[in-house]
Amino acid sequence: MRASSLLSESLAVLGKELTSELRSRVALNAIGLFGITTLVVVAYQIGPYQIQEKDRPHLLSALLWVILFFAATSGLARVFVKEEDAHTAKTLRLAARPLAVFAGKYLFNLILLVALFTLIVPLYCALMGYEVRGLVGLVLVLAAGAVALAASSTIVAAIISRASGSTTLFAILSVPLVLPLLVMLIQGTRAAAGSVELAAVLPALQGIVSLGGALLIVSVFLFPVVWHE
Amino acid sequence: MSDNRVRTALHWLLGAWLVLVIAAAFFWAPAAAGFKGESSRIVFFHVPQAWVAVLAFCVNLIASLRYLRTRNPLDDARAAAAARLGLVFSLLATVTGSIFAHVMWNSFWNWDPREISIAILLLIYAAYFALREAVPDEERRASLSAAYAILAFVTMPFLVFVVPRIYWSLHPDTIIGATGKLKMQMDPRMLQTLFASLVGFTGLFFWLYTLDVRLARVRLARQAREEA
Amino acid sequence: MAAVSVEFTKVAKRFGTRTVLAAVSGALRPGSVLVVAGPNGAGKSTLLNLLAGVLRPSRGEVSHRRGGADLPRSEWCEHLGMASPDMAVYEELSALENLRFFGRLRGHATSDAAITSLLETLGLPSREQRRAVGTYSSGMKQRVKLAQAVLHEPAVLLLDEPSSNLDATGHDAVAGLVARFRPLAAVAVATNDPREIAWGDARLELAL
Repeated sequence: MRASSLLSESLAVLGKELTSELRSRVALNAIGLFGITTLVVVAYQIGPYQIQEKDRPHLLSALLWVILFFAATSGLARVFVKEEDAHTAKTLRLAARPLAVFAGKYLFNLILLVALFTLIVPLYCALMGYEVRGLVGLVLVLAAGAVALAASSTIVAAIISRASGSTTLFAILSVPLVLPLLVMLIQGTRAAAGSVELAAVLPALQGIVSLGGALLIVSVFLFPVVWHE
Repeated sequence: MSDNRVRTALHWLLGAWLVLVIAAAFFWAPAAAGFKGESSRIVFFHVPQAWVAVLAFCVNLIASLRYLRTRNPLDDARAAAAARLGLVFSLLATVTGSIFAHVMWNSFWNWDPREISIAILLLIYAAYFALREAVPDEERRASLSAAYAILAFVTMPFLVFVVPRIYWSLHPDTIIGATGKLKMQMDPRMLQTLFASLVGFTGLFFWLYTLDVRLARVRLARQAREEA
Repeated sequence: MAAVSVEFTKVAKRFGTRTVLAAVSGALRPGSVLVVAGPNGAGKSTLLNLLAGVLRPSRGEVSHRRGGADLPRSEWCEHLGMASPDMAVYEELSALENLRFFGRLRGHATSDAAITSLLETLGLPSREQRRAVGTYSSGMKQRVKLAQAVLHEPAVLLLDEPSSNLDATGHDAVAGLVARFRPLAAVAVATNDPREIAWGDARLELAL
């Protein structure tokens, strides 16, 4: 038996990711810059008053997720691509169990997404005059969305890092997987914005949680195949 | 030899069957009431195409799962063959559906849940081949695309069943409701033609599929011979 | 250190239509050094990757055994140490941080003092050990890679061109490593350097 626990190994991977990210800040810069830029463009060109009152619930929730999804796409592929680029993948492959690698990288992407959401969502609400009645509902939708998006982006990042490693391929492979997720996220956000009742977001939330859970479980099983071929 | 003879007989049977289906679709089955002109006849081709696209998706999944267990390159070839046909048929289904929508409602795209699912299926197939193109090494290509196929399959039920329930519940049903039941009143002759066409298209799929797999088998055998 | 051996029978590797390695057999046994030699492109690195389990053979079989029983893949990794030109360590981290990280992944509790002294024996003075690896020369990086390979006292040590980028003292440090592991571990060295070929108890000559 191996002396170290899976948890300690996963945390070691996560710690390594955080340390290198804090020193290089490549992913943080990419995601933050992309998020802020699109947010500013949207807020400047559309702003709170350009949208008709009846269109607000639909448009505002959709625009928010367009910004969040594309900002996330610009940085989340790096967790695995950088290992291949720097030739550290093989060193890591020989030292760590696949599950620990996946868990560490998944948690890292989750942290990046949470950071992105906490940065962009309040700014978006302020700049676009987006009033959210059910704050708890919104937080739940965002949290479930982060869990699910982190799962799909981590496994797709692992796949593309073994292929060409291009961000284009990352987007091509991600879009069909996350489209149903995005639709449910937009729906859930709209429901949360419109009602204080938690029951309003429940249908969407159930869908997001079950899709996120399914993606996560399947990814855990598929990851060793992708990582070791 | 007799194996070959059975195969030839089946090909002739399939050809004759499809000719009959086409003839029936245009001349035997009546045009459905409530549809513009003869437009309802497209259903005899459109529905089977969509069915084959979904069938190919399932065959692709089974072959991918098998590949990960056996690591047999032939299973990868099976998965790729199914996906190739799935790509063609989902494209055909999208185009025929679009044409029908244009004739009926003067718009090529209506964001009907069925339209979305077939379009996503098309996207998945396209992504699957984009991934295969990006990996030169055969073994790696096989396992990565198998992994992606399985991953994509997981999201499909959500797209087909969960999303429409949440999202389109306020929208009026178009031709096909979320339950998948055909809403139009079907004449028995229409129904018979449609089922005959489904059988014919399924046969067409398996014929093209076995052709592709046999080709791959020959290629692999030649490769093994060259090595020896 | 557990006694682990690696046996390979008629392993072949093909990439696409190109055969890189054709039907090679042999074994790595504890207490001996196998030298793998041959011209560039003969498949030295490929063979080492097959032995490490990073690559899957197109034909033939590689088995990792301990005391007559097959070693499961999950356990095999903790007995393996490997350094090769296509294995880098993290450039944003210092040598010390890199080795701490790999030690923790392998569940091998190593004190900073032990890491420091290992790096020093490999010729990386302690004042350099806290700088980011990205600022190192290629010879210094090679020393960190070698330290990464041997930190957890592996039972099987695979070294692919271990002295690349190293000067004379570096070469001596590698010789010292091989001498230290020779009595107990199974060692394989892929090289074309005549001095290193002389280390071998057995030699496997690969042809193009």
